[in-house]
Amino acid sequence: MKKLLAIHFLLFGAFLARSADVSIPIEKYKLKNGLRVVLSKDNAVPVVTVYMIYDVGARSEEKGRTGFAHLFEHMMFEGSANAPKGTHFATVESNGGTLNGSTHPDFTDYFEILPSNKLATALWLESDRMRSLAINEENLKNQKEAVKQERRLSFDNQPYATAIVDVWPTLMFRNWQNSHSLIGSFEDLNGASVDDVAKFFKSHYAPDNAALVIVGDIQIPDATKLIETYFGDIQPQPLPKRPDLAEPAGFAAGTQVYKDPLARVPGVIIGYPGPKRRSQDYYALHLIDAILTGGDSSRFRMNLVKGKQSVIEYEAELGWPFASAQDYRDPEPYAMFLKYNPKFTGDQIVAQVQDEIAKLQAAPLDAKDLDRVKTLVRAGVVRDLQGSLSRAQALAQYELADGNAALINTELDAAMAVTAGQIQAAAKKYLTPDKRAVLQIVPAPSPQGKPDEKKGVE
Amino acid sequence: MFLGKPSLTVGALIGLLLTAAGLAAQTVDRAKAPRTPPIPGYKLPPVSDTKLPNGLGVVLVHDGRFPLVTARLNFQAGTKFDPKDLPGLAEAVAALLTEGTKTRTARQLSEETDALGGSLAGGAGPDALTVSGSALAENLPRLLELMADVSRNATFPQDEVDLYKQNRIQNLQQERSQPSFLASQKFSEVVFGASPYAHIAPTEEAVFKLDLKVLAGFRDTWLVPNQATLILVGKLPADEELMKILVQRFGSWRQKPVPAAPKAEPPAPRRQIVLVDRPGSVQADIHVGRLAPIRTGPEYFPLMVGNTILGGGTNSRMFKNIREKEGFAYDAHSTYATKRDAAVFEAVTEVRNEVVEPALKAVLSELDQMASAPVAATELSNIKNYVAGLYLLRLETQDGVATQLNAMNTLGLPKDYLETYTTRVRSVEPDQVLTVAKKYMAPGQATIVVVGDATKIGEALKKFGDVTITKAN
Repeated sequence: MKKLLAIHFLLFGAFLARSADVSIPIEKYKLKNGLRVVLSKDNAVPVVTVYMIYDVGARSEEKGRTGFAHLFEHMMFEGSANAPKGTHFATVESNGGTLNGSTHPDFTDYFEILPSNKLATALWLESDRMRSLAINEENLKNQKEAVKQERRLSFDNQPYATAIVDVWPTLMFRNWQNSHSLIGSFEDLNGASVDDVAKFFKSHYAPDNAALVIVGDIQIPDATKLIETYFGDIQPQPLPKRPDLAEPAGFAAGTQVYKDPLARVPGVIIGYPGPKRRSQDYYALHLIDAILTGGDSSRFRMNLVKGKQSVIEYEAELGWPFASAQDYRDPEPYAMFLKYNPKFTGDQIVAQVQDEIAKLQAAPLDAKDLDRVKTLVRAGVVRDLQGSLSRAQALAQYELADGNAALINTELDAAMAVTAGQIQAAAKKYLTPDKRAVLQIVPAPSPQGKPDEKKGVE
Repeated sequence: MFLGKPSLTVGALIGLLLTAAGLAAQTVDRAKAPRTPPIPGYKLPPVSDTKLPNGLGVVLVHDGRFPLVTARLNFQAGTKFDPKDLPGLAEAVAALLTEGTKTRTARQLSEETDALGGSLAGGAGPDALTVSGSALAENLPRLLELMADVSRNATFPQDEVDLYKQNRIQNLQQERSQPSFLASQKFSEVVFGASPYAHIAPTEEAVFKLDLKVLAGFRDTWLVPNQATLILVGKLPADEELMKILVQRFGSWRQKPVPAAPKAEPPAPRRQIVLVDRPGSVQADIHVGRLAPIRTGPEYFPLMVGNTILGGGTNSRMFKNIREKEGFAYDAHSTYATKRDAAVFEAVTEVRNEVVEPALKAVLSELDQMASAPVAATELSNIKNYVAGLYLLRLETQDGVATQLNAMNTLGLPKDYLETYTTRVRSVEPDQVLTVAKKYMAPGQATIVVVGDATKIGEALKKFGDVTITKAN
């Protein structure tokens, strides 16, 4: 619920699965109003996930309206015509389920996981808020405060968070759509009117701008009829204009330093502009990420955490920090965040990381290493297929970003086909110091040494 | 219409759905939540268990949906077995098992594990030390070989031990900067007294003292097959072939008598207020609770359901009243955590300094309320649905099933525990909840631990009784 960003540790959920020896059944169609529907039946455990994804995220926000996508996600829990405030949570939980919603750069999602006899209940709730969300002054005021409180607790009062959310995007991107703070400013939030919110809802939360994915213990004909019943007569809207996310040519490499009074341990963020989604280089970089940071035997763990004992912990991902390889939509970087032993300097850590990359650029990967990393990626994909929610998330991304949910059954093949030569070439093409942005996060003394005093960022 | 039927059986499910779906969209009554059939019955895949001649317990669940296997090797060797002067020994042993054996370096272990498409790691809880592993199904024999090797032949190499100590001390400092950690630690100390359950983390001095001798000594004493159970879930070979593999990997492991496990023996509960002074804190972490019955007793299910009514999820009283209505806190919940030989119930909230007094009053009043009036039928049935539904959700993945079986083993639960779980939840009655609430939730003998700035909240706390002030160390 109400999380703007999930910061991922090592994720390998992007690729699936003929080589995975699993075939995920898919039924796909569109309602008359344009709502895309993806159904995947699995009757093993009587559980169903209803996953609703809207094709709008924080990168669709306009100037003066930062934080809108996230504010709106909060509004979606404030009640609708037939399910007034409080009903959504109470109904799902008292029926034995869980629910959540989250805002991302390019999409916003909502889900319910319930015992499978409650499929209709989840569809009732999701359709009611798509049809008739309660947008009024009281709810808006209330949720503005909730969002601000979330910002204070989860960002302003947490080490590294401000650097990651507010500063890092400005180093990686120059197009404002990509570089603005995805959680938004208090000023813009204060300025949001009921009218603004209603307009945003009408254009972005229409059935033709969404996909509904249902995974689990269902019967296809029954589910199909229920979906028509609950969603069939919701009116479509003209599709909103997609923002232009293109970055200007000529990436500006550089280093910045951010002083963080809440951090006790220094950290450094390193990023490189990434390739197009599902391009050859995208798969190669995904494997490079696994070589550097995936599993117990990753280069970073073996050589930096253990060997040099310079790095304490790390996370990295295509699309870090707001996206994952799975929901990566260019422009995105390949980026990483490392916390390190204060005996070292940030420059030394950057050099050590670049040295690890240089090894990949200098010679093709050893066949044994390549085989191991592919096994690791393959296993991660299969493991993520188990839960109905993670399966729904994968289907939704393939449907929304690529228009093809069935990629869930073939995408792993593309990653498995990457050669040592392609890895070497991608490392040379993308991961060079002249295409690198660095943000060093340095612990700063806090005012009077008070443990909870927050820094002066507003 | 089917919708008018007072109760629907599973058999009526399809009829209902077809009927509802057959209606034109406009005629659906959107004003009310749809009528739905009862929660479907679910039978777990069969759980079989056996023992090798050396006493190693074996629990198997065949689940072939995904080409994966998930394993747990559970030893009755948790942190309660830490010697008095070495808190943190069990967790150190657990963490270092995978950092080198007689025939494999740490690097080799890591590379071999990744090459299986798997994972391998040790961890220690209060009662058990568990080696957890997973792999692509075809690599099961190699996974079992690694699990046997780390459990039997770890060498605790000097450089790995040193690195562990350095990281653990750093990590401990980080933990101690968190008020929630300080609160849990103090609460545990007060409630468990001299019992081995009292410590939840090591001390720096103890970490500093770790060496090959104490690590290997703990391993040689407690990590023996007759103290262990191997749990395997997933796409497994046929039983006969699997048993052959198990005998190959674990058969030569000699059983060995173990010393008696330490007794829990916590002190009798009594009302006391302890303030852990954390100068500069802008919030206060409040824990109110006491000893409670363990999982195997008849009071477990009523108290577990009662605890959920009080402080589990967004339908709970603490969430609705202390968070939503009063706005005292972002977090207000209760927990009922059972170890093998002792359990604790506690209500927890984190509040701004200014509202410590009304917030603590509100918590005490919720506890009194639980202990003085029976819960309403609807509230009880909603919570029972919630608990039973979440149980189902946990069984979707191999990891979820293995975690449940591992907990059963750690806590010594009966074999039919999972099978009868839902029935036992559903059979809890309001008077049973009231009875256990009077005994364990009524705050008369509850310990109150608060972490915060004594100069800001000390006076407010004194209104509730004598306050013992300690330093955050």
